[in-house]
Amino acid sequence: MEQLIQELKEHLIEELNLEEIAPEDIDAEAPLFGDGLGLDSIDALEIILILEKFYGIKLKNSAEAKPIFYSVKTLAEYIMQNRK
Amino acid sequence: MDMECFVENIVTDKQVTSDIKELIPDAGLRRRMSRILKSAVMTAIECAGGTDGIDGIDAIITATGLGCLSDSERFLRNMIADSEQLLNPAPFIQSTFNTAGGQIAMLRHNHCYNVTYVNRDCGFEDALLDALMRMADSQSRRVLVGAFDEQTPSQYRIMERMGFWRHGTCREGSVFTTLTAMPTDSAIAELSCMDFLSGPITEENCMKSYSGGDDAVLLTNDMEDVGLFPVVPARLFAEGVRKIAEGAERVIIYDRHGGDRQTVMVLKCIGH
Repeated sequence: MEQLIQELKEHLIEELNLEEIAPEDIDAEAPLFGDGLGLDSIDALEIILILEKFYGIKLKNSAEAKPIFYSVKTLAEYIMQNRK
Repeated sequence: MDMECFVENIVTDKQVTSDIKELIPDAGLRRRMSRILKSAVMTAIECAGGTDGIDGIDAIITATGLGCLSDSERFLRNMIADSEQLLNPAPFIQSTFNTAGGQIAMLRHNHCYNVTYVNRDCGFEDALLDALMRMADSQSRRVLVGAFDEQTPSQYRIMERMGFWRHGTCREGSVFTTLTAMPTDSAIAELSCMDFLSGPITEENCMKSYSGGDDAVLLTNDMEDVGLFPVVPARLFAEGVRKIAEGAERVIIYDRHGGDRQTVMVLKCIGH
């Protein structure tokens, strides 16, 4: 799990161009959107691509995205349960 | 053409010394900007006299030859690599030609007239003409006009194979100028004439036709400046304004390599 969280942080930094942020700056339990990292709707689309590209997971229902995308930890838990 | 305006400020990317974090404090906005976008937006902010200066602008007119090329390349590469299945939204959004004009406007939520000219190396002159016409028509009073373009390794290689760099150099960068309909205290020069010629003329004839009896300086672009980028005539314009600031009475700018047409712009010192 810890390794997956670290890997996810690196993907987020790379794919979302978070060039001024290091993996250790990201709190795995802090919200990704709004406060926390302050991501926006374009980033949400990029995260959908990260899930599909690196873990083979296709989100079937966008309504389920909100709790999954809450933090790096919730994302990692979802990946653990659904990765192919 | 009987239209005139006043050059209040002109800045090239080489003159921008401020830190990007000072000019664009919003990290969210900054992180999606490619190299050319950062260059264009920072040059525009410096030219407008800081981010607050954008509030007083009532038209933003930009010119570019190939737009935000690195973002376009990234988008196309992703498209090929992922078999057109997983397309990242950010490079697509940022790759459009009017991204720089849009980003400048969004910094201060300035919803004024905002147009980008994409017309090979003539774009800057087209942008200037648009600004002049808007001011002549009292539709604008303070206009931000700029040109920007970037060189990428793949574009350089492709154009090298086409023989583009045999006699010249690849140019890139950003130039922005603020123009006003009426002279302000900080006005540097007056753009008193802009002519589009249907064919080339000799430098002697150019001087004869546009010097108006003044001790004029003629600026032309050399063969090595031929290119696709409107940044080339924009740099020439900046050089002309610099010469007026240094004391020249009149500067005639003759852009003789603007594709199918030649352009003459006449700059005069204020009150002359």
